[in-house]
Amino acid sequence: MSKVFLFLVLILCFACSGDENTYVEISENKKLDFPQPDFFPQPVYNLEENPPTEKGFELGKKLFYDGKLSSTGVISCGFCHVQEFSFTHHTHEVSHGVDGALGTRNAQPLMNLAYFEEFSWDGAAQHLDSFSIIPITTDTEMNETVSNVINKLKSDQVYSELFAEAFNNGEVNTQNMFRALSQFMVMMVSADTKYDKVLEGNSVFSEEESAGLSLFEAKCASCHKGILFTDQSYRNNGLSIDPRYNDIGRERVTGLEEDKYKFKVPTLRNIAVSLPYMHDGRFQSLKEVLDHYDSGVEPTQNLDPSLQQENNLGISLTETEKNQLISFLKTLTDDNFLLDRRFSEF
Amino acid sequence: MKKIICFVLISMLAVSCKDDDTLETTSIEISFANKINSQNIELNTGVYQTTLGESYSINELKYIISNISFIQEDGKIFTYPVEDSYFLIDEEVPSSKIISLENIPVANYKKIEFGIGVDQSNYPLNGVDNFVPTAQESQMLWSWSAGYIFFKIEGEYSSTGDQPDDDFLFHIGSHGTNLDNYKTVELSSDFGFDFTENTLVSIEADLSKLFNAVYDIRIEDKPDIQVDPVNAPKIAENASQLFSSVPLNSTE
Repeated sequence: MSKVFLFLVLILCFACSGDENTYVEISENKKLDFPQPDFFPQPVYNLEENPPTEKGFELGKKLFYDGKLSSTGVISCGFCHVQEFSFTHHTHEVSHGVDGALGTRNAQPLMNLAYFEEFSWDGAAQHLDSFSIIPITTDTEMNETVSNVINKLKSDQVYSELFAEAFNNGEVNTQNMFRALSQFMVMMVSADTKYDKVLEGNSVFSEEESAGLSLFEAKCASCHKGILFTDQSYRNNGLSIDPRYNDIGRERVTGLEEDKYKFKVPTLRNIAVSLPYMHDGRFQSLKEVLDHYDSGVEPTQNLDPSLQQENNLGISLTETEKNQLISFLKTLTDDNFLLDRRFSEF
Repeated sequence: MKKIICFVLISMLAVSCKDDDTLETTSIEISFANKINSQNIELNTGVYQTTLGESYSINELKYIISNISFIQEDGKIFTYPVEDSYFLIDEEVPSSKIISLENIPVANYKKIEFGIGVDQSNYPLNGVDNFVPTAQESQMLWSWSAGYIFFKIEGEYSSTGDQPDDDFLFHIGSHGTNLDNYKTVELSSDFGFDFTENTLVSIEADLSKLFNAVYDIRIEDKPDIQVDPVNAPKIAENASQLFSSVPLNSTE
């Protein structure tokens, strides 16, 4: 009797699990641990919705460094985002695209992207998963259609296998492509600088760096705020208008006159290596940047109020102060991140 | 005793795999007919009048239909799977104007609800990214903003009501997270959407309402409306008022 009973109960247990049985368990695709630094806020990116996995990361990395994403087959994401320079287009004021085409803006560094709410200089992308549409489709960047990219990937055996391993539905499609790129990019966490070590109590600032920190807190940190060194707002920092581009900045996204000439306050992590500076890469050194704030700020439309106090434009700085600030900013360089083999092309 | 237990268990087994009583599903089709004055639009050649006395012709008309759901009399809602729920209606492509949906529970629905554009809560999530290739091929993507164009109309107009020869274009989408121009449309019908009877739904869009449904639009005031926080929401609002469901025999 009890055996019959057990048997029936067992049948009952399995009776409705038909769907789950067709699910193939991807045991070899391990979930990656997101390296959340102690002093950082919680990630904005939803890591549960698109959890980075070994295969997803590998696929994202392959996509990131693959020229297939461009119309000419040679311009990859990594072409303009070079790791050693915090994933910027080193020495290029504005980034180059297919057939030597010139863009109008300076490639932004890639790191700590999991903590950002909006992407690109004007906030044109509201989610990391949709950001890549911009460089892929822009004519002066990769100049390709998303359909073509997907078709190229579908006809590539290696990609078909990687997509199958990385995602449950295994499909080579737009969502999975963007999710894989995001998995690769959200893992780029940079929080191993001298600044961080001082916070942890494992290092001390030199006298000059300390002086720079005090200046920074007094004169820069209202915009370059917090552990990410940006409040993620859009502001006009008084750059003269370059007639070659006449870039209206954030207004292009919102259509609002009050957003004209405003650009995202950039993070300052790894700033010493991510030259050139500003949205159009007009400054080649930190010294030039500080000279701008000291004496170059112009009263253009929507100039940030913090840069025009009591009829004085900009932030006055002595030469000594500039040197101290630069010494401090250099403590924000994370060599381990810049050389981390997990993110490198080869 | 043994027999009773067996009987109970077997009968549990028999019913345990039924989800509920609405297992029967059907495929349906929704047709969209873009009209002015009850006539099908004639791209390029048709000349139409606005109530403000302007004349216009239409060269291009496209919009995104999304997030379709069906509502029964008792309020019970069936929402079509989000990832499969994005469609591009292109006046120039007849096949695009018939949407096919599968696995709709058979019932007599009172209302149909759908969106015009892409709602921010779903973008780029829930598979909506997979609509990017279609949208890009049809130039319904603002590449520089990583966002969709929800509603697009291009043509020519004349402010004096003569033969139209000045260009106008309205490209309506959301402006980042600043301004959401996604709209929902709810259509009810006296005759219902009874999928036990037939599986066709016929929807008409009266394009003349684009210029006067809620806001009076004088094309000459702003013939180029794209990322325009003042005028784009007006066009979006008017666009959400274009649609009505019509009895099947009046579709031709």
